[in-house]
Amino acid sequence: MSDARIDGYARALFEVARAEGTLDEVEDELFRFARSFESSDQLRNTLTDEVIPAEKRQAIVETLLGGKATATTTQLVGMVIGAGRGRDLPAIIDKLVQRASSAKKLEVAEVRTAVALSADQQARLKAALANATGKQLNLKVIVDPSVLGGVVATVGDTVIDGSVRSRLDNVKSRL
Amino acid sequence: MSVTTLLAVDPAESLHWLFPALPEVIYGGIASLTIFAALAKFALPQFKKSLAARSERIQKEIDASASDLATAEGDAARIRTALGDIDAERKRLLADAQAQADALLRDGRARLTAEVVELEAKADADIAAAAARSGDELRTEIGRLAGEATDRVIASVLDDSIQQQLVENFISKVGAGR
Repeated sequence: MSDARIDGYARALFEVARAEGTLDEVEDELFRFARSFESSDQLRNTLTDEVIPAEKRQAIVETLLGGKATATTTQLVGMVIGAGRGRDLPAIIDKLVQRASSAKKLEVAEVRTAVALSADQQARLKAALANATGKQLNLKVIVDPSVLGGVVATVGDTVIDGSVRSRLDNVKSRL
Repeated sequence: MSVTTLLAVDPAESLHWLFPALPEVIYGGIASLTIFAALAKFALPQFKKSLAARSERIQKEIDASASDLATAEGDAARIRTALGDIDAERKRLLADAQAQADALLRDGRARLTAEVVELEAKADADIAAAAARSGDELRTEIGRLAGEATDRVIASVLDDSIQQQLVENFISKVGAGR
């Protein structure tokens, strides 16, 4: 899909969420769904399979997110999947997150950890990253078991890697 | 018989029954001498001439035979020479054929030897490459398995307290970084 079309979908989702007054929550839920969508081959293959009718794919989204996310998030994901743009869902959501952050004059900080972070840890991590980068941040936490331990933070082009995975890879490369 | 006896005898009579009458002897003798003289005068030259011609013809034939003999001997010599040449040519052709066959055999052996050497070198290289490839694959597989095993061991070692400690260390380090 072209960048213009991705931008168009992201803008549409952004405006809907903002109009609903649930932008922060929807943005966070969409971001987490996008990461799950990227990491699960089965989910991605199912929701992008053109052989499966759009209504059935939308029903799968309803089943997955129903009760676990806001109705707006569920409807927005269902809309993108129903339009046959499932393959571009992560890119659309990333654009939406960027747009939302820009609207709040924030920079997106993507944080990957092996375990879930508490609200306190997220707040302190956000403050630490803001202190390190000198930017106001919109923190997005992704639980990624491949990190093994520690934290990998990406702010724009800057990557701060304090993961066990990277240390292990360094040891392997030295060996 | 005495002359008187002869004179006393009738000329028409023969003195002996075996001899002819005298006149007959005389005339016969004269006629014989005449015939002999005529023969000597006319027939003898012709006879001699004929004899000379015959001798000349025989001599010519002898000469022609000698010439033919010489020619035949020359031809025989030439044939013998030609036979010698043919034998030499046959030997030369056989020698050439043998030389070509030897060269062909030598080239064939050399080519086969080179091909065998090349095939052996290629086989050695293939074996070495296969051994190296197998070694690389084995090392890669061992590395992969070791990596997986390491990941599992580390994941089992990293309990929640250690995970939290790692996160806290990161926050502290990043927060103190500026």
